[in-house]
Amino acid sequence: MNDGRVRRICDFMSRYAVWLFGSGCTCIRLEKNIRRMAVAAGVDVEVTILPRHIHLTVSEPQGGDAVTTIASIQTLPISYDTVTRLSRLSWDVADGIVSCDDAHAELDRVIATPCPERSWLPVIVGAANAAFCRLFGGDIIAMAVVFVATVAGVVIRQMLAGKHVDNRIVVFACSFVSAVLAAGDGLFGFGSTPAVAIGSSVLYLVPGIPFLNSFSDLVDGHYICALGRLMQAVVLTCCLSAGLCCGMLLMNVGMF
Amino acid sequence: MDLALQFFQDALFAAIAAIGFAAISRPPRQAYLWCAVIAAVGHSVRFLLMHTPAVHFHIVIATTLAALVVGILAVLISPHAKVPAETCLFPSLLPMIPGMYAYRTFGALVMCLYGGEQTFDHYFFLFASNGLTCFFILLGMVVGATVPIFLMPGISFRATRSRLI
Repeated sequence: MNDGRVRRICDFMSRYAVWLFGSGCTCIRLEKNIRRMAVAAGVDVEVTILPRHIHLTVSEPQGGDAVTTIASIQTLPISYDTVTRLSRLSWDVADGIVSCDDAHAELDRVIATPCPERSWLPVIVGAANAAFCRLFGGDIIAMAVVFVATVAGVVIRQMLAGKHVDNRIVVFACSFVSAVLAAGDGLFGFGSTPAVAIGSSVLYLVPGIPFLNSFSDLVDGHYICALGRLMQAVVLTCCLSAGLCCGMLLMNVGMF
Repeated sequence: MDLALQFFQDALFAAIAAIGFAAISRPPRQAYLWCAVIAAVGHSVRFLLMHTPAVHFHIVIATTLAALVVGILAVLISPHAKVPAETCLFPSLLPMIPGMYAYRTFGALVMCLYGGEQTFDHYFFLFASNGLTCFFILLGMVVGATVPIFLMPGISFRATRSRLI
């Protein structure tokens, strides 16, 4: 017996997997990262990725100890900073720069220091959405209206997310507020492209990364996971559309 | 020249949009610049494919090819930026999202439900034509962008390695 070495490795990998997956990484990356650490530790590993759980079995080659864990995936905001740091950790373990015991501490460190919510986020997202509006042919007034609508929406999102409100309600509320503000362009007759202003004012809420991750999982053959992520993205898109629709009805803006 | 001015404007606004949308997914600091560059190149490629008189591709084909360029660039750049390929790739792709098609599809759907018998055909046509275009643009985008990661796994998944051998 080896005083629970396999169990320690399995616990570590299980925690690593749920945090990496929760931060928005694709199935293929998760599997590759886990496997390379398993090779370095000299154990076999099998992973099953389900939409809300990760099932992991670590075993010693030639019929030694085997440990299985099932862990719930963390519900976290998407953070590529965390994905990057955890991917680097997997290579450091594989290359022998970080030992298996230090890896636990390093994982704790990554988890304890999430990428901070940047204070300039509303402004930069507002500028991005205004630029987006321009790409769709909006005039300068539409851009200004979209900027204001987006900044307001992102500020509300940060406030509601800070109070741990359900993400679907947050998306609905933000798209409602943004649509109401953007409707001002047409109502007051400021600009010549009011439809573009309303249409692009809610685009910052489109769940682009879950959609792309879903397709990446589909290519990789992780169909259940791909469907799970697709459903999540579709539900969020429906909330977005409902918010937009309510906002437009409230302001009595015609669709065409 | 008007077309040239529009070309550079498009690239600039695509870069700004990419930086802002990248910020939502909290990337490491070094990724912002690359997102902007890749998005500008991607959007320019699409613009050229759609507006050059000799080529004049349909928006679906142009978007697919531009997404492929974005995907290849992101994979090649990721080892230099020391970030996973997705970090550069996904935010750079977002400026190509067919937002107005999606908006028109949604608007036409609502009008199908609200409108009477006379206008239903008109709005259902708008719903179907905008919806199909939107769907195929999205499909082309994700296929074009994801395939390079799978075709070059040697580069895509080694980008974060500290010791490059």
